[in-house]
Amino acid sequence: MLAVSGGALAQQHWSYQPIARPEPPTVPDAAWRQPIDAFVHAAMQARGLAPSPAADRATWLRRVTLDLTGLPPTLDELDAFLADTTDEHGAKARVVDRLVTTPAFAERWTQWWLDLARYADSQGYEKDGLRRTMWRYRDWVLDAFARDVPFDRFTIEQLAGDLLPGAGDEQRLATAFHRQTMTNTEGGTDNEEFRVAAVVDRVDTTLSVWMGSTLGCAQCHDHKYDPFTQREFFELYAFFDQTEDADRDDDAPVLRVPTLEQRAAAKAIELELTAVRARLVAGEGDVAAWAADVGARHAAFRAAALQLSPWRVLGPVPAGGLEAAHRTAFAPERDGVRLEEQQEGLAWRVEPTFVDGAVHTWTGNGAAVYLHRTIEAASAAEAVLSLGSDDAIKVWWNGIEVLAKEVARGARLDQEVLAVDLRPGTNTLTLKVSNGGGPSGFAFALRVPESGAELERVLAVAALDRTSADRAVLAAEFVARAPALSAERAELLRLEGAFDAQRGPAVPVMRELPADRRRETRVHRRGNFLDPGDVVTPAVPRVWPPLPPDAGRDRLAFARWLMSRENPMTARVLANRIWSELFGAGIVTTLEDFGTQGEAPSHPELLDWLAAEFRDGWSLRSLLRTIVLSATYGQSSAWNESNREVDPDNRWLSRGPSFRLSAEMLRDQALAVSGLLSAKPGGPSVMPPQPDGVWMQIYSGEKWEPATGDDATRRSLYTFWRRTSPHPAMLVFDAMSREACVLRRQRTNTPLQALVLWNDPQFREPAIHLAFAAMQATGGHDDDTVRWLFRRCLQRDPSAAEMARLVELVKAERGAFAADPGLAERIVGAERHDLHLEVAAWSVVAGVVLSLDEFVSKR
Amino acid sequence: MNAPDLFTSASRRAFLGSAPSLLGALALRDLFGGDDGKPSRAAPRVKNVIWLHMEGSPPTLDMFDRKPALDRHDGQKCPDAFLPKERFAFIKGHPHLLGHRHGWIRGNNGIDVCELFPHLAQQLRDVTLVRSMVTDQFNHAPAEHLLFAGAPRPGRPSFGAWASYGLGSENRDLPAFVVLLSGGSLPSAGKALWSAGFLPSVHQGVEFRSVGEPVLYLQDPPGFDRARRERALRAGNDLNGLHAEAHGDPETRTRIAQAELAFRMQLSVPEAADVANEPPDVHALYGTTPGASSFANNCLLARRLVERGVRFVQLHDSGWDIHGTSPGDDLMTQFPKKAAQIDRALSALLIDLRRRGLLEETLVVWGGEFGRTPMNEARDGSAYWGRDHHPHCFSMLLAGAGVKRGAVVGATDELGWHVTDAPIHVHDLQATVLFLLGVDHEKLTYKFQGRPFRLTDVHGKVRRELLA
Repeated sequence: MLAVSGGALAQQHWSYQPIARPEPPTVPDAAWRQPIDAFVHAAMQARGLAPSPAADRATWLRRVTLDLTGLPPTLDELDAFLADTTDEHGAKARVVDRLVTTPAFAERWTQWWLDLARYADSQGYEKDGLRRTMWRYRDWVLDAFARDVPFDRFTIEQLAGDLLPGAGDEQRLATAFHRQTMTNTEGGTDNEEFRVAAVVDRVDTTLSVWMGSTLGCAQCHDHKYDPFTQREFFELYAFFDQTEDADRDDDAPVLRVPTLEQRAAAKAIELELTAVRARLVAGEGDVAAWAADVGARHAAFRAAALQLSPWRVLGPVPAGGLEAAHRTAFAPERDGVRLEEQQEGLAWRVEPTFVDGAVHTWTGNGAAVYLHRTIEAASAAEAVLSLGSDDAIKVWWNGIEVLAKEVARGARLDQEVLAVDLRPGTNTLTLKVSNGGGPSGFAFALRVPESGAELERVLAVAALDRTSADRAVLAAEFVARAPALSAERAELLRLEGAFDAQRGPAVPVMRELPADRRRETRVHRRGNFLDPGDVVTPAVPRVWPPLPPDAGRDRLAFARWLMSRENPMTARVLANRIWSELFGAGIVTTLEDFGTQGEAPSHPELLDWLAAEFRDGWSLRSLLRTIVLSATYGQSSAWNESNREVDPDNRWLSRGPSFRLSAEMLRDQALAVSGLLSAKPGGPSVMPPQPDGVWMQIYSGEKWEPATGDDATRRSLYTFWRRTSPHPAMLVFDAMSREACVLRRQRTNTPLQALVLWNDPQFREPAIHLAFAAMQATGGHDDDTVRWLFRRCLQRDPSAAEMARLVELVKAERGAFAADPGLAERIVGAERHDLHLEVAAWSVVAGVVLSLDEFVSKR
Repeated sequence: MNAPDLFTSASRRAFLGSAPSLLGALALRDLFGGDDGKPSRAAPRVKNVIWLHMEGSPPTLDMFDRKPALDRHDGQKCPDAFLPKERFAFIKGHPHLLGHRHGWIRGNNGIDVCELFPHLAQQLRDVTLVRSMVTDQFNHAPAEHLLFAGAPRPGRPSFGAWASYGLGSENRDLPAFVVLLSGGSLPSAGKALWSAGFLPSVHQGVEFRSVGEPVLYLQDPPGFDRARRERALRAGNDLNGLHAEAHGDPETRTRIAQAELAFRMQLSVPEAADVANEPPDVHALYGTTPGASSFANNCLLARRLVERGVRFVQLHDSGWDIHGTSPGDDLMTQFPKKAAQIDRALSALLIDLRRRGLLEETLVVWGGEFGRTPMNEARDGSAYWGRDHHPHCFSMLLAGAGVKRGAVVGATDELGWHVTDAPIHVHDLQATVLFLLGVDHEKLTYKFQGRPFRLTDVHGKVRRELLA
């Protein structure tokens, strides 16, 4: 017998075979003759299963609305659909056609994509610095789903938009997909080590998302089971090894791309700028008067003949953190500077090396340093202090606090500019510099008021001797400095700032290295980047079809190859992912592994049919439309005798899809039914309420600043995502940190989930609002209010038993609140005094409905 | 799934293909092959683990590994032979050796211990001192990931999550994996150190907070007393019961039970977390003040938690990163301050566990994520004494069930630079602690992204020399 090698066997693996569009089998049931249904029906028949009946119409409406938009239907939508009874398939198709064009549709599918893109608003790793601009990429995705951009274009732009011929800003912006990798800014780390980690992540993510293949282990050694060698891993790696980014703290390279609104706003600002610039002109008489005044002040400064003592320094005084260091008044601050005494157990020392005009540094985490010097003036004068500090600073001039600024920054001159009056005799200057982490330091310079070499030179020339060039200098300086034009200058500054702000946020993007700086990619022996092996060039693993010979060997060629008809994986993998979003499990349950170690497809022909269908035009919308209008999708999800025994996991699709909603959908649904949901689309990520103290970060002054107004109740898609600390309520419902691409979220069922539904203000507030809404919508009869709550939240009428139970509850709550009317007011707030008791009682009932299993699940 | 262990129950359908089962008891059975009742080869010696992580990494060289040669050559340039191929986090140029800066006292196991730890010195007879710990990483976050999750980058489940996944909880009213923080900041690697990684999120460590409610979202909103919460719970579960009958999804029954548990937790968690009703002599022993946020309070809380059956209690105490850039992180000011914060409390924990018989079933692990250099760091010419990060050797303490008492394992060279005897990699420590819990580290796996993962990655050996 001939031995067949493992590799050869693996090459015959189903997923590596070309996709042919299979013919659907013929089935007897007329309602099951659409291709999807025919495949599913045949598979059921083969196992002695029968389909479930169609879900009742309201259940179907809730299911499809949640699936397509992530939100529940409104009461109007429910009533309209229930009234549309002429043609069942047509009525459903009209609903789907409406849903796929809503903004909510784009939001829901963007949410899906962000898990795969490992989207986050922070850099990850130890310091996890914030990326406050990444939303611009999220909005790119939103826009793509809103326009149903075909998936091949969607893919190619994200992987290699920068390399497209004539690439526009939006296409370059799309490449932020692979800049979602983490950046390590921890002190003492090797940037190359983490650049390599980012490139490895790009390979892993690309292969997982599009190819359903896991090559992670081939980073260190040849794959044990699948036909991939370590060399092949690094040949793939080579495609991604030529971008400029290199784990830099500032995430360079970045690209600023204005949004449409920003482009329009910039145009308007440009007009205003022209107008203000026209007002910034110098009249001859004004200039002369101003020059005389400044000249006099310069003369006074020179006459004062200032003598500066060397700096005296005390510290660092440890305080445990920047905030404490800055805010605590240590002895020099509390008792005054006493140079001859020990203060805070430390002596003042002279620092002759702290010369003016340069930055001086020291070390001391979470500590404060005091600096003190005297300035002798022969006569009164004005002067300007230029200061810089790392980090926070306080300044006392002649014993009076003139500046206090709690900031985190590196020091440079002119961060702070203070005008001071020098009195004749001794003046004192005391600084306090407080440091968070890393180096600390300061910079100082003292200047004549209205300083500047040119201005000083011209003013030293007698007025009558000034040349026309001198007068031009004065006119320009007048425009730049004179108090008479301060309003115009402020306006100009404001407009310039506003104009700059409209250039768009700076988003990290992929940018290819120029030809002379390209890296030589080598195999990393045992996965260790410090142990380079053979040189490799970009190529795709042998088990897959090769790149076309005339294509380049760069990311663009690779992205095009991914989406080519010859590639058997991508269409299957993506169709399976989309199926799994609707059904809760893929036809291949291991969404991320279509290799020999993955699960085999339950319905191989259905998968191939869907893949072929999707590949024709790559339209997410039309694929979704086909699936949700199938009889398979439309079945009742209730369990029955036969499908409980034979199909407990619904692998054979003998029930409709049903499972708990995602963290985001749960919150959005509660906001929606209570009327609190804000429809505001896109823009910077927001910070809805979360418990205090959840963001506790070692080196960072960043704070969770709870959003107010509309921003507190926007869709969860827009919630700020910090990798080391995602919103805790979302974590409870199985959102993940997004440190790596999230291929499949878990769906757990834990007591902490009950606690969030009961106690998180993000669910409690909706309960109160929902109670209000229910009372306003009904006439005050308990039965009507319960019915309204059920229809609003569950899209159905309550049964008699359910009705009786909730009426019993509201009566009990009414009684209990009546015994303590102040309590009701505390719950409901000060308005609508007449309704306190009722709203309080109904808010308990509404809270019960918002935590019902049926409400938190898709049925 | 007749009587689901509620803390470990997750949606069954969602995990097709994820091996082994999510249920602790089932997982354990899988690990030891069969439920025929025969005692397994690796019978558990430990039920609970308390892992005290000194975040930033203490200078264990100055605590438990006295080097007379270092004192003799104090201030001299370190020998050239050591420097090639060495990467430092902060040291630049040719560093100088740094002798010990504190005196020594004799521990009750006969070894020299830093004088700043007089209480701990009297406990060492019951402790295994490992002088030969080794790691691969010399930056905090990667080293912490490696220590707690077996790999240097985020994304893997942490030890406690594996323990919860493999063994479940012993207390139906409390989570299996609890995390306590002191010292004022999060560990460098953040909450990833108690992440469930790719394991079901139910196994994630639950942070008991020292300020505010002990568990997030535990407290009822304004206007809810126990009676109202119970009325709402009963009504909700009655409706859920009707729905379970009508629809038939078993997840609904689980949700009903989880709501009941949540209701019980609202009492059991604050009770467990409240150290106020401990008697005065216990507070005197630990040096605790009810309501404070301190390492001592967390030690006492750790005892209360293992007493109640919490499987894995993980303490992180920050402030140990003794670089010597200022008095806030040097050997002369900060190190004695940290020593004073833990010496009595750590000793009290051992005494208290022993008195209650809990040390018979609990393993206590103490240590940082790596060692510190035998040289003075002198960053930017700093005049304060301190040591840089050092992955090649460090000491850890193990005490309690299954480990030797009074033993010293491993040795380092005369400068404390490299291990000379019995190097114990952090993967070995993980394998050994899992072994003590009755789990074979090569068999506790979870399939993710197409391959089986385990805590020890592809490394780790159970180290018999640590075992009693």
